[in-house]
Amino acid sequence: MDYFEKHIRNNKALFDEHQADRSKMWAKIESELSHSKPKAVPLWRSPLFRVAASIVLVLFLSSLIGIAVYDRYPSNGQNSVVSQELMDIDMHYSNLVRHQVQLVKDHPDLSQQDKEQFLSFMDELDEEYKTLKLEMKKNLGNERVLEAIIGNYKKRIELIENLLRQINDSKMINDDYGYSL
Amino acid sequence: MKTNICFTHRELVEKSKLGDRNSQFQLYEHYVDAMYNVSMRMLCNKEDAEDTVQDSFVEAFKNLGNFRYESTFGSWLKRIVINKSINHLKLKRIPFLPIVDHEYHLAEEPIEDVKEIDIEKVKRGIKLLPPGYQQIIHLYLIEGYDHEEIGEVLNISKSTSKSQYHRAKKKLLDVIKEM
Repeated sequence: MDYFEKHIRNNKALFDEHQADRSKMWAKIESELSHSKPKAVPLWRSPLFRVAASIVLVLFLSSLIGIAVYDRYPSNGQNSVVSQELMDIDMHYSNLVRHQVQLVKDHPDLSQQDKEQFLSFMDELDEEYKTLKLEMKKNLGNERVLEAIIGNYKKRIELIENLLRQINDSKMINDDYGYSL
Repeated sequence: MKTNICFTHRELVEKSKLGDRNSQFQLYEHYVDAMYNVSMRMLCNKEDAEDTVQDSFVEAFKNLGNFRYESTFGSWLKRIVINKSINHLKLKRIPFLPIVDHEYHLAEEPIEDVKEIDIEKVKRGIKLLPPGYQQIIHLYLIEGYDHEEIGEVLNISKSTSKSQYHRAKKKLLDVIKEM
């Protein structure tokens, strides 16, 4: 920068030779500012909105993941209805079996040996039933497991009924022998 | 403790950002004359300069949220005024660049260093220059812009700005010498 340039820059205030009509210009500026709508900050640019949106997004994603994981387990509404039905059926059959086993145990015409033999069959069927019930917990919707459980109950009841029928039949024969004409 | 010059009038600027009319008026009072003179030097017309400065203040106050203290408020405002003045010249088809071969940067002739120069003669000499030369002299010597900033404002390269300034300065000194 030479002397000429330095001289002008040092005296640049001398180049400001005009005076603005301040009040007239301000009146126009103020009128422009008053007429223009206040600048609306878009909601998405607000930091508060961004934080709120992030929280909502995290909650939404968590719920989606939660639902996906939860769905893998048999605990939704439909499954609970099925589960309740199965519990009712299970209770009905187990009460029936327990009642009939008690009848066999209390029957006066059966020997101790016959009772034990019968009960050991029932124990085997009980073990099978427990295995099926564990399988059922893993896979509630499996129809084959359900059918196997019902089949297990039916077999036990059939076994009891057959035994009671045999007892009654032998009793009738013995009674017939009692009547000698 | 060092004070950052960029934060000059910070309180007024911050209040103005919130739309405080009194703070806006105080900023206006501080800068209106300087801005009016910047625009007058470029446009050489009272009405055009007034309109340009008014528009510049309105735009500045409306966009004050974008001002991040990377320069002083005055420099930021002056850039708005200069850009609006250049746009005004474009609209009026007034050449804001010297029309001579500005794409060819021929070897610059050396300029004799001048001693003892009358500022009033310089002012009159600038007014006798072609509009393109006037703009580049004003931007470099009076507004204090460097060639990179002039390149941005006039949309020319830094080297074009340098060569055009050199020619303008030589012409100005020739004009003054003849006075």
